[in-house]
Amino acid sequence: MLLCAASALANGTPIPHGTLELVAEDQWLDKQGLDKQKIAAGCTFDVGLHFQLEKGWHIYWINPGDSGEPPRVEWQLPTGVSAGAIEWPTPRRLDSGSIVDYGYEDAVLLIVPMRADSSLAAQQIAHLAAEVKLLVCSHEMCIPGKAQLSLALPIKSQPPATDTRTTDGPTDGPTNDLFAATRRSLPGPAPRAWKFIVSDAKDSFVLTANIGHQITQAVFFPLVESQIENAAPQKLQTSAAGFQLTLRKSNQLLKPIARLQGVLVLSSNLSSSNLLDNSAGYLIDVPVTGRAETRSTITK
Amino acid sequence: MKLSSLFTIFIALLLCAAPASLLAAKVGEAAPDFTGTASNGKTYHLSDYRGKYLVLEWHNNGCPYVRKQYNSGNMQRLEKQWTGQGVVWFTILSSAAGKQGYVTASEENDYMAKMQAAPTAALLDPTGDIGHLYDAKTSPHMFVINPQSVVIYDGAIDDKPTTDLSDVPGATNYVSLALEQAMAGKQVATAATRPYGCSVKYSDSH
Repeated sequence: MLLCAASALANGTPIPHGTLELVAEDQWLDKQGLDKQKIAAGCTFDVGLHFQLEKGWHIYWINPGDSGEPPRVEWQLPTGVSAGAIEWPTPRRLDSGSIVDYGYEDAVLLIVPMRADSSLAAQQIAHLAAEVKLLVCSHEMCIPGKAQLSLALPIKSQPPATDTRTTDGPTDGPTNDLFAATRRSLPGPAPRAWKFIVSDAKDSFVLTANIGHQITQAVFFPLVESQIENAAPQKLQTSAAGFQLTLRKSNQLLKPIARLQGVLVLSSNLSSSNLLDNSAGYLIDVPVTGRAETRSTITK
Repeated sequence: MKLSSLFTIFIALLLCAAPASLLAAKVGEAAPDFTGTASNGKTYHLSDYRGKYLVLEWHNNGCPYVRKQYNSGNMQRLEKQWTGQGVVWFTILSSAAGKQGYVTASEENDYMAKMQAAPTAALLDPTGDIGHLYDAKTSPHMFVINPQSVVIYDGAIDDKPTTDLSDVPGATNYVSLALEQAMAGKQVATAATRPYGCSVKYSDSH
């Protein structure tokens, strides 16, 4: 079996009001030399786009909300290495009054799963390169940016010593912590016992959730743009067994939709002011039922 | 107090309390009327243009998505093409004083001369009143209104939501498509899209 390894650039590449760095976990990095590095070919391994932004600036989620656009990555990869889709952490609601965007402030790691196959055999070092186009915004202005990133992956033909995907890897270090913390902030599937219904109620979608316990806060992030009015208040009604969330439809939504997909962030703790920082959220994908189930909660 | 003035107050309270988007322009519904002061000093009433097609273009000269359209010459080309066919084109500036895209009348006139922009007029809306009336989200957010004063398009200028100048030539322009289809007596196929761009830099106090 083949092995490969990665070493990261020491410093980030400048982007408007921040830096961007293509990073790998510490177990792929070896400060002493390349010979101890190991990522198995035929295996998967994660790299990450690490954005660090000045205070007051943000980048965008896969659905940017009312304005902006998500970062776009074009990979230039050696034969035998392929990139998966970005794993988007639960975003924050970036509220500037009548306009609401979804994105990340301060710092975020966008993890990208990579796959290495046996065709890497002949190569000593595989160079991963990426061109990232992005928009960095504050509430006042937006600046487009572009960054050329690279990461070298020395390839070894030894079996891997450990599972390459564990969250607590064989070595502890700042990059490992970063990947581990980011994995905890990725939205995951909702428990199977939870039941969701979404009904189309003229001007709104009503999300009814039976989750077996009472919650105090709920925020829904739509995965698809222009389905709900991002700036509209999400009206929450709770019960002992769950809740109902009323989401006003977007002005730009003219046709019925088959499914409502997104990330649902819940909190059972009223005192938790930082709902979005403490909860990863649940990925939901619920068929939209017809208008027959119109609820009394609908407001015109 | 007279009943009529009480009623006026009641209506005024209702208007203040109602979320912007409930009153906002919507495809298939009547275009909300407004009065705007242009950089040329004239006053324009939307209702004066019944019988004509109208285009509303939300503008912020510092926004990279707007710059893509103007630096490529695309927006000016569209303005000339459509006003040449009798369409009334209002460029609307809803940036509040002190925010990106806010300009005085003379600055806007200088900008239009330099860029060779050719809308019917550029309306200065620093209070954001017209912007909120239409629930304009971004620059450039575009609306097309038909001669019966019904909104027939609400959304992006084209299908390439980027700041890249190189994306302009290959883009499908939704505003031109809407005008072409409506003028040919057809239903507008794509009547609403996500209005990509920079957020409109509204006044914080609105």
